[in-house]
Amino acid sequence: MSTSTAEHSPGRAAADRIAARARQLTKAYGSGETAVLALDSVDVDIARGRFTAVMGPSGSGKSTLMHCLAGLDTVSAGQVWLGDTEITGLKDRELTRLRRDRIGFMFQSFNLIPTLNAAENITLPMDIAGQKPDQKWLDQVIDTLGLRDRLKHRPSQLSGGQQQRVACARALASRPELIFADEPTGNLDSRAGLEVLGFLRNAVDDLGQTVVMVTHDPGAAAHSDLVIFLGDGRIVDEMERPTAEGVLERMKRFDLTRSAFDGAAENTSDVTLDKD
Amino acid sequence: MLKATLRSFLAHKGRLLLSALAVVLSVAFVAGSLIFSDTVTRTFDRLFASTSADVTVEPKQDLKSSVPTGATETVPAALAGQVAKVAGVASTHADVSVENIVVVDSRNKSVGPTTGAPTIATDWYLTDRSPVKLTSGHAPQGASEALLDADTADNKHVKIGDTLTVQAQPGSFKVQIVGIATFTTTNPGAALVFLDPATAKDQLLGAPDRATSISVDAAKGVDDAVLKQRVTAAIDSAGTYDIKTADEQAKSAAADLGGFLDVIKYVMLGFAGIAVLVGVFLIVNTFSMLIAQRTRELGLLRALGADRKQVRRSVLTEALLLGLVGSTLGLAAGIGLAAGLIKLMTAFGMNLKTTEMVVGWPTPVAAYVVGVGVTFVAAYLPARRAATVSPMAALADAEVAGVGRPLKVRAVVGSIVGAIGVAALAGCAAATSTASSSSLLGLGIVLTLIATVIAGPLLVRPMIRVLGGAFPALFGSVGRMSQRNALRNPRRTGATAAALMVGLALVGGMSVASASMSKSFDQQIDKTLGADFVIQNGNFLPFSKEVTDHVRATQGVGLVVRARFAPLAVRLPDGRRVETTAAGYDTPLDDVAHIKYAQGSTSSALAAGHLAMDVDFAKKHGVRIGSVLPVEFPGGRTTRLTVGALSDQGASGGFGTQGGLFFGIATVEKYVPTGQDSSLYVNAASGTGADQLRTALETTLKPYPQVQVRDQADYKKLVHDQIAVLLYLVYALLGLAIVIAVLGVVNTLALSVVERTREIGLLRAIGLGRRQLRRMIRLESVVIAVFGAVLGLGLGLVWGVCAQQVLALQGMTALAIPWTTIVAVVIGSAVVGIVAALLPALRASRMNVLAAIAHE
Repeated sequence: MSTSTAEHSPGRAAADRIAARARQLTKAYGSGETAVLALDSVDVDIARGRFTAVMGPSGSGKSTLMHCLAGLDTVSAGQVWLGDTEITGLKDRELTRLRRDRIGFMFQSFNLIPTLNAAENITLPMDIAGQKPDQKWLDQVIDTLGLRDRLKHRPSQLSGGQQQRVACARALASRPELIFADEPTGNLDSRAGLEVLGFLRNAVDDLGQTVVMVTHDPGAAAHSDLVIFLGDGRIVDEMERPTAEGVLERMKRFDLTRSAFDGAAENTSDVTLDKD
Repeated sequence: MLKATLRSFLAHKGRLLLSALAVVLSVAFVAGSLIFSDTVTRTFDRLFASTSADVTVEPKQDLKSSVPTGATETVPAALAGQVAKVAGVASTHADVSVENIVVVDSRNKSVGPTTGAPTIATDWYLTDRSPVKLTSGHAPQGASEALLDADTADNKHVKIGDTLTVQAQPGSFKVQIVGIATFTTTNPGAALVFLDPATAKDQLLGAPDRATSISVDAAKGVDDAVLKQRVTAAIDSAGTYDIKTADEQAKSAAADLGGFLDVIKYVMLGFAGIAVLVGVFLIVNTFSMLIAQRTRELGLLRALGADRKQVRRSVLTEALLLGLVGSTLGLAAGIGLAAGLIKLMTAFGMNLKTTEMVVGWPTPVAAYVVGVGVTFVAAYLPARRAATVSPMAALADAEVAGVGRPLKVRAVVGSIVGAIGVAALAGCAAATSTASSSSLLGLGIVLTLIATVIAGPLLVRPMIRVLGGAFPALFGSVGRMSQRNALRNPRRTGATAAALMVGLALVGGMSVASASMSKSFDQQIDKTLGADFVIQNGNFLPFSKEVTDHVRATQGVGLVVRARFAPLAVRLPDGRRVETTAAGYDTPLDDVAHIKYAQGSTSSALAAGHLAMDVDFAKKHGVRIGSVLPVEFPGGRTTRLTVGALSDQGASGGFGTQGGLFFGIATVEKYVPTGQDSSLYVNAASGTGADQLRTALETTLKPYPQVQVRDQADYKKLVHDQIAVLLYLVYALLGLAIVIAVLGVVNTLALSVVERTREIGLLRAIGLGRRQLRRMIRLESVVIAVFGAVLGLGLGLVWGVCAQQVLALQGMTALAIPWTTIVAVVIGSAVVGIVAALLPALRASRMNVLAAIAHE
């Protein structure tokens, strides 16, 4: 099964069009007989300037894939590149700097530092790095996200949707090579969720950013350019210009396979870090 | 429910560790001091009980001098013969034992203890009560032989055959050491020289027919008390002597020593008090934080049907367990501490044995009462708060309990208590009598401390905004986050800083008071001391007449004015009998001292049959110039003296004397005939330079290592050093307070780090380096510590200034604020903050990023 992944990978673009790349990426938890593979020799290319969604049922390894690509987690085997930089084997300090300077993050919840106001949260990665933000770009991001009159507010004074917009602004502010969004709409009502997805879409279309979003919501995935489906730690399918219905259909097939391989699949889901 | 409590206790044992340590420390000091003083008391009770004669006849000690006079009171040696005839007496002995001596070796080095314990010369008379036995050499015979105790011989490297000089009141004499006597009981730390009985009377008392006491052995079957009555009837119908049974003698000897031991005991209890006080803050804080973290868990318990009482009881049971564990460990640590103190005493020459350690039943009782009591009281408020957690907390993503509660109550209570405290302090500054002002000072200190503790959280915002104000500019976003983290939970920051505040307030106050004392003494010395040099014993003990004679004969000495002290009781016109100590001076006092008189002059004060006293004291008791006052001196000598002058020095003489009485030295010589000089004020002869005279005096005084030559600067330094001793004690207390306060800061930071796990994970994910994270936590710690220091020092300064106002009534009129100390303490507190942050910061930086983000 793993042999076919190369063909399925979206690596058709030219090398300089690749934002991130993984080869034979394997992540195992535990060791020996009890070892469980969260990722099993995954090959994947993330195209620059596109909105990629990663989907899969609970325990499919989609969050693990994101964590490994983003330099948050170590890999058991294989290689990962961000642009031309191989990040597997980098030291903690180098990984930290890489995340700070070249990657933007959005998490499902608890995205903001409660003691800092919106403006301070947005520029935090650059402040940490001791860099001056590009004010023109920053203004553009803030205005695009409609945060102008919320900049002095603390996170506790913002609604969930507003908080995610601030997180989105922070991810964009330093114009990173790649933005990872982990279930960014998971804690939002549908209207606020749609808003955030719209902003991510805009970030790709209007601002030329690259976004990778992990989600289990077919509706959210439908906003992307390409959906990668993960199952049991492998890339099992992908879908260009997805629609919500198409994604939903594809996901239903997982449920069928899952019930067929009940025992094995459940084992995997117990141990991955997936939180849904 | 108990099961849940136990589980929770065990689950949080790591977090309770620091609280337990605070309990252990306070209990250890309480238990240690009790064990130590019990052990010492029993050892000496035994020593005195075994060495006291069945009945002792001593000179009456009705007037005790607060300043040593160098005099030895005696009884006629012939009394021994009279008492021997009393029915029931087996034997009697005329003892000689004096402490007003100095023994030096051939290199003019003192062989006496350096610890302040006395050097005792006594007659060699071996009985079964003797605390020593002869272990080498032979008993002293004749005027030039002596024994030395083995401990002193060891310490000072004196061997049989060496020659020592004994400087006694009648004069110095040389002796050869012919034997060594070893203590068979506990050596209380003194140096002992034994002489042949006749020599002892001649050389130590200067009178072959006198003795310092008569010891009486009862015949078999005769009760001590009965014998005492018979002896009294036979020789003391007039009540001239002090006659004691063995029990009474042992008790009074123990009481004499008791003063010294009490000091140690009170110091130890002071440490315990500080440990308890600071520990309470730590425990309150720990329990508050644990409960805040467990809000959901407690809500779940409530949702499952536990009522408020059960929740409260559950928390209090945890506190009880903590108290029990802490007390048990503390008791063990206390035994260790006592053993250490006993070892320390041995180093000071007091040979106590750790094997004879006494752990009386009150010790464990006190240990558990303190340990469990403190924990219980400290946990009570947090427990009540826990009980108010609603069952809804289990469901809601609850706000951490305690953060949002308004501080209104604290503001109101804090300002009321604070206002009363400030009023008390203002009152003490304005008061005119020492007694009322010092009680107002005490009240003010306690109330302002309580008010600051209560209102501390309210001060967190404004003060940390200022103290951490430069952080964002200096350290960027890391600085900004650390400052805001410190502001995040004002209660917690306030309580953490309060622990540090208590200790530093104490130090601030004491250092202002002692700096003011030093400055006042300096001014006093500048104002009154006119002599070129003062010759004195290092610890103000009087010295032998030879010293005076040699100084007088020294080349270049122009004028010598002697000062002696005499204990006396004076009957005042208002009917009061005041026991005090008066000074006697040579007539040319004006040449060496500047004394201000309200009425009269030095010559009228020092004239024969006259005396002078402080004008305020005189007014208070209705004394006027020309009043004739009956005066009693030791040994039943009495006279009437006329008031010749009233001095106006603005301060009493200090040293526990009152009235500032002084007269001509002839009066002292007449009524305290065996007294010795306490100080010599020396002026150079015309044409002799100060340096030249100093060298000459130092050469003269070489054989008298106990006395030193001091000019004004040396004299000031001596006073400063003595005040510094007090400060060292305060610094030691501070050290302990800081150790516990650091535990508190560590505790707070550690729990905060746990609470902020997700936040830390997020920060790390978006690129905060480990080093930056550590710096963030360190800066938070520093700002909390500095906040506590500023608060404490501020409070301490106010206390110190008020204390100085109280002391001003006693003549400490100068106010000095030791800014260097204060700045050093603030800097030190920042260092304390850095140290406290080490572990929590390390822990935070080691967190796994992913696990931290996923943390619930």
